[in-house]
Amino acid sequence: MNEIEGWLLDLYPARDGGLTVWLLQQDAQGCVACHALKQSFPIVSYVSGEAPALRAVWRFLRRQPIQARLERCQRRDLFEAQPLSVLKIEVQRPDHHALLVRRLTQAFPDLTYYDLDLPLSLRHAARYGSFATARCHLTVDEDGVIQGWQTLDTPWEIDAPPAPLRSLYLEPDVDPAHAAPSQLTVRAARFSYRLALQPGRPFLLNLRAILRRHDPDLLLTRWGDTWLLPYLLQATQRLGIPLPLSRDPQRGVAFRPERSYFSYGQVIHRGRQAHLFGRWHIDIENAVLYHDYGLEGTLEMARVTSLPLQAAARLSPGSGISAMQIRTALQMGILVPWQKQQAELPKTALDLLASDQGGLVYQPLIGLHEQVAELDFVSMYPSIMARFNISPETIASAAHTQAAVAHLHPLSEASQPALIPQTLSPLLEKRLELKKRLVDLPPADPRRKRYQACASAHKWLLVTCFGYLGYRNARFGCIEAHEAVTAYGREALLRAKEAAEEQGFEVLHLYVDGLWVKKAGATQVADFEPLLEEIARRTGLPIALEGIYRWIAFLPSRQDERLAVPNRYFGVFQDGSLKVRGLELRRRDTPLWIAEVQQAILECLAEAPTAAAARQRLPLILQFVRAALSELKGGRVPPEKLLLAQKLSRELAAYRQPSPAARAARQLQALGKLRRPGQCVRFWYVCEDGGVQAWDSGVLPQPTTLDQGRYRELLLRAVSTLLQPFGISEKRLRQEIAAACPARPLSLWKLPDAGLAARPDSAVRPPAPPPH
Amino acid sequence: MGRTHPSITQTFLDEQGALARFRRALRRSDQLVFDDLFARAHQHLAAAAYASHALPLEVFLLAMLLEEHKEVRALRQRLESLQPPLPPADE
Repeated sequence: MNEIEGWLLDLYPARDGGLTVWLLQQDAQGCVACHALKQSFPIVSYVSGEAPALRAVWRFLRRQPIQARLERCQRRDLFEAQPLSVLKIEVQRPDHHALLVRRLTQAFPDLTYYDLDLPLSLRHAARYGSFATARCHLTVDEDGVIQGWQTLDTPWEIDAPPAPLRSLYLEPDVDPAHAAPSQLTVRAARFSYRLALQPGRPFLLNLRAILRRHDPDLLLTRWGDTWLLPYLLQATQRLGIPLPLSRDPQRGVAFRPERSYFSYGQVIHRGRQAHLFGRWHIDIENAVLYHDYGLEGTLEMARVTSLPLQAAARLSPGSGISAMQIRTALQMGILVPWQKQQAELPKTALDLLASDQGGLVYQPLIGLHEQVAELDFVSMYPSIMARFNISPETIASAAHTQAAVAHLHPLSEASQPALIPQTLSPLLEKRLELKKRLVDLPPADPRRKRYQACASAHKWLLVTCFGYLGYRNARFGCIEAHEAVTAYGREALLRAKEAAEEQGFEVLHLYVDGLWVKKAGATQVADFEPLLEEIARRTGLPIALEGIYRWIAFLPSRQDERLAVPNRYFGVFQDGSLKVRGLELRRRDTPLWIAEVQQAILECLAEAPTAAAARQRLPLILQFVRAALSELKGGRVPPEKLLLAQKLSRELAAYRQPSPAARAARQLQALGKLRRPGQCVRFWYVCEDGGVQAWDSGVLPQPTTLDQGRYRELLLRAVSTLLQPFGISEKRLRQEIAAACPARPLSLWKLPDAGLAARPDSAVRPPAPPPH
Repeated sequence: MGRTHPSITQTFLDEQGALARFRRALRRSDQLVFDDLFARAHQHLAAAAYASHALPLEVFLLAMLLEEHKEVRALRQRLESLQPPLPPADE
């Protein structure tokens, strides 16, 4: 027997039974190596039904060539009050399990199955506490079979020793959807090559040599899922040169098909996926939220969800939170339904009217306000679930929920937290601890970036866990629990409002989990501390001061300026950073030129210490807008800054009145470039050709063909949004612009940016320029 | 929300739409005042949602009344501040 220590890289069913486990080891000299080990891992599932039916299952399974160990036992279904009597089916080999359950479910489709289709990594995690990059201590026999497993750290550790990962970065010279690449950049820690794709033979031989020599644990690619790996596989087959993309010599590349789906009001497109064995592949163009939290966030996602890294990189946060719930259920001995069959409790129309509500969303007081504090409940909905013990099994009746909400009492007083709170609590604690450390860390500390990435990954998981509670098909979804969360949220926000008003604050706006308040003379953090304490005391929920605005402008609706809209505002915090919601520059379909002009104006306004001082800058801003318009007129705005980007919401044939994006996509289709729902189309407004010209059509528009009137309109509207709160109406703006004296140079572009360091979480981000 | 009954904003638009014939028959000048009433009531959508009243129009009418009364009070206060101060009482 050998005792070894290392980091878990990957595990999956082996072809000859058991699991293949890849362990990353580092010796005393710092040399890193990755080894394949084996482990026996029986798979357990359950079936419930009437006694005669279960006896028939027993007889059926006894006749199967794949043998299973059978046992009658009691287990708990979360949606049933009493434990169920179930048949436990234990299969020795993971690869046989899928085969056997397929036969079983075909033969007995009417029975209720549990724990049937769970990801292997979650079963392993529930048993051994494992996760990708977990530090493990293993006892291994002479044949490389693991006999003892001890995981040395937990997903909740913040400064766990990082795994010594070696990564290789592969990137073609051009977006393959745009043109055929001719070169591949290959980069690792200490070197960088450019390999020509043609001729194919030397290219493959070179790449193979690099793969063998550097033996990376992680292949980080751009367009690896959608183009590079399929391309490489084709080339290896054509030329007969094998390429060891996977570390496991018996395995090649596993592909999963592309798909478009609907989520949170958007159509999302995910390209085909290419998974490796014994080595990770992440396509940063196809990974979920990679642009938000990077590799460190992806590693954290795999860590806290126990999903395999390659899956965690490509799955939505919803699947992540679902995985965490399954892991908790397995650990608590709760059955995980295969296909959920829970119907909603019957309700009267009046019950529905009372319960089917969202968070409280007020209409803010329109206009410019000074010295305003924004107070936010910290991770409000997950905190509510954890504090008030909200979970499918704690829901009793509508009356019970109403009574508990009215007094902000927990739904259940049981000493052990229910499934959902138990899943969320460690995640909430880790996030709070990270936030606390981030406040204390100096700005240049190297840990800062990682902490932020982790906090961002947690944020996405916590945001989605509320939605998943209300999702009919989620395994532990329960609409009554979902509604209870919003009811507690409304109660807490109203209590916060009452506390603020009792302390003499004016409440300008309330938005689900945040409130904006002001009081004459309250300008410092200390002036708001008593209010924060009082709210925390009355609600029992954590609340924090997001910041104090020097001034903030709540904007009216575009259609009717008497109507307030909840989420359209901009303001400047006391440290000079901006917070912007619902403005053009936050929208991805806004051309970069317009976003930049808006940004420059905002920064100019933000430099002024008071609203009155900001108002004095208006003549300068008008001058700047005139100059920007004359740049447009003179054809001096680079065409790529005038590009718009819009997503396709459906298949092209399904458009009855094609949007500009659909018209541009049709132009691309005529060139053989297909765009699917959820994919982005970039285009210009032009005077001819149906008003648009697609970016990918290979021709740049001439300044004379661009629809200048349309861009001018877009700009004036964007500028007017900003100037309105300062007393300049859209009409007045047009008059001022029309009465233009000749424009002076663009002085605003060179504004000093001292004191404008954007806050990372609320930073204003103009859309990224398109690649050339 | 929006799962079994429309959102409060939709309800508001529906109630306004249900009065379209009434509005159409008003004089132009009265139409503008009518629109103003609804714009004022719109400020209290959150409260109307929280009330989850079975007859939302009643709540919207009350919201209009509330805004009207606010205006009356503000005007009364202004009027009182414009009154000449009372002469000092004789010793």
